[in-house]
Formats: sequence, structure tokens, C-alpha cells
Amino acid sequence: MTPFFIWLEHTDFSVWVRESPSLLAFPFLLILHAIGMGFLAGMNIAIDLRILGVSPRIPLAAMRAFFPFLWFGLIINVISGVSLLIGYPTKALTNWVFYLKLGLIGMALMALRWTKNRVFDGPEITTGQLPGPARSVAALSISCWLIAIVAGRLLAYTYKTLMSGE
Amino acid sequence: MNEFTEAARLFFLGLPTHDIMGTRWMWPICESIHFIGLTMLIGTVGMFDLRLMGVGRQIAPADLHRLIPFGVAGFIGNVLTGICFLSGAPDQYIYNWAFRWKLVFLIIAGLNILVFYSALFRRVRGLGPGASIPLGARMVGAVSLAAWLGVITAGRLLTFYRPLQISPGKWVF
Repeated sequence: MTPFFIWLEHTDFSVWVRESPSLLAFPFLLILHAIGMGFLAGMNIAIDLRILGVSPRIPLAAMRAFFPFLWFGLIINVISGVSLLIGYPTKALTNWVFYLKLGLIGMALMALRWTKNRVFDGPEITTGQLPGPARSVAALSISCWLIAIVAGRLLAYTYKTLMSGE
Repeated sequence: MNEFTEAARLFFLGLPTHDIMGTRWMWPICESIHFIGLTMLIGTVGMFDLRLMGVGRQIAPADLHRLIPFGVAGFIGNVLTGICFLSGAPDQYIYNWAFRWKLVFLIIAGLNILVFYSALFRRVRGLGPGASIPLGARMVGAVSLAAWLGVITAGRLLTFYRPLQISPGKWVF
């Protein structure tokens, strides 16, 4: 993998992410990543809490209105996350915690897809009845997001190699 | 610097958390709690702000408001871990312009909350599903969301405005 990392680290975009003195480079990507986390993980957790029985008077169907904000968070985090990864590919891809984080995000997104398809787009949505596993999926979703956030924070403290090049 | 910053510096250095913040894992543990708190805050308070701004009209504001204690719990965690950070390395914050901006946004968010609960909450609480939100409450929702995003932005910029780096040329991010 090392030649690939070295090549990637020398691409213009990677150098720009790492070395540009502009606040619009590295700092802005970090800001976007934190805000996207709030919208995607935070509002997904809020929807999960409702499914788990907090404030049952909220009509579930009406919570659909918040999904565009989850997608907004997802899009800016994929863009900012991939950009940060191109900036420091070795740092992330040689650290098992990064794969843990990605796996947890993958599971949280699968849980979200299940909830969207089976709870929100399912036939029972207006009756107030939840499909059997809905609560378990909601609990799984909250767990995955919270551990993913911790894993993400630990990336700054657990990496072994910052860059493959000099 | 002036007397106030010096007094703040000595106060935070004297807190009992000062020493443990220097141990290997306390900083990342506190950061993890801080980011979880941020997420809970945007997830619940941010969602309520959006409701005030007109999103999810079929939800009675009072019902969505029941999620807010989770955001408040997250915020309390953020204040406590924030105090830990300050006690661990006060110079990194009190001479840092990004930190000062973060405080400005926190004060805006706080005053906005005072306006909401003192002048508008009683009316908003009585609104049923589908009712339109009074203009004042819509503005409070927009100011709240903008202020919290400002807090996050300034918080994320802290690293880049540090008066002292951990070691030359090496940022911790």
C-alpha cells in the first residue's frame, strides 16, 4: 500500500488539504465534519429516541420532515471525510480504529435505511404500530453512532504513522 | 495580560482536575464526551430550532420539546469537560481568539434561550399540530441554530489559534 499512499499524498488536492494556510482548507473541513455529525448522528439519535418511546405524542410520520437534514449531514460528512482521508491517507488507513469507525458508521447507516424503509415508508406508519424490531434497531443505531464518535476522536491519539512520505 | 485573564488562568490551574488532564487518556476521554454532547445538542435542540423555523409542522412544539432534556444533558457534559480542558491547559484557551469567539456565541445562545423561555415559550407550548409559529419564535429558532453552529465552528478553530503549540509544527487534531 505504501507506494499508493505516497502517490496520494503528493496529489495537489492532498497537499492543499494538509498544507494550505487558508482556513478554507483543513480547518473548514474539520468544521464541516463536526456540523455534519450533529445533523446526521444527532438527529438520527433524536428519531431513535422517539422510536424507543420518548415523547410518544410526536407523530412519527411527521418526523419525516427532518430526513433532508440527515441527508444534508451525510453528504457534507462524506465530502469532508473523504477530503480529510485524501489529506492524510496513511494516518487513517494504517490505524485499525479508523476501520472500526467506518464499520460502526456503516452499521448505523444500515440501521437508518432499515428504519426509513420499514418504519417511515411502511404501511403501519399512521397507525402508531411499530414493526417488531424497530426498537432494537433504534437502540443499535444510537450505540453505533456514539461509539463511532468516540472512535473518531481517538483517531488523533492512536495513529502510528502520520505520512508515508517524508 | 490584564488582571482578569491572569485571575482566570490561576483559577483553572488550581482546579483539582488540572493534574489528571495531563495523564495519557483523560484528554481524549473528555473530547469524546464533548463531541457526544455536541451531537445530542444539535440532534435535539437543533431539531426543535428547525421546528420553530417551520420544519415538521405536524408536530406540536411541546411534544418535540420533550427531547430537549437529552440535549441539556449533553450540554452539561460539555460544560464539565470544557472546564476540564481549561484546567488542563488554560493558556491554550484564555489567550486564544477562537475561544473568545466561542464564548461570544455561547452568550448569544444563552441570551436567546432567556428570551425564548421568558417571553415566548408559554405561547409556543400551547400550539397544536399544524399551527403556524409566531414570527418572534421563528427568529429565536434561527438565532439558536446559528449560534450553536457558531459555537461548533469557533470550537473547531481553537486548534489553529493556539498561542502555544504542543510541539513546533505538530498540531493535535
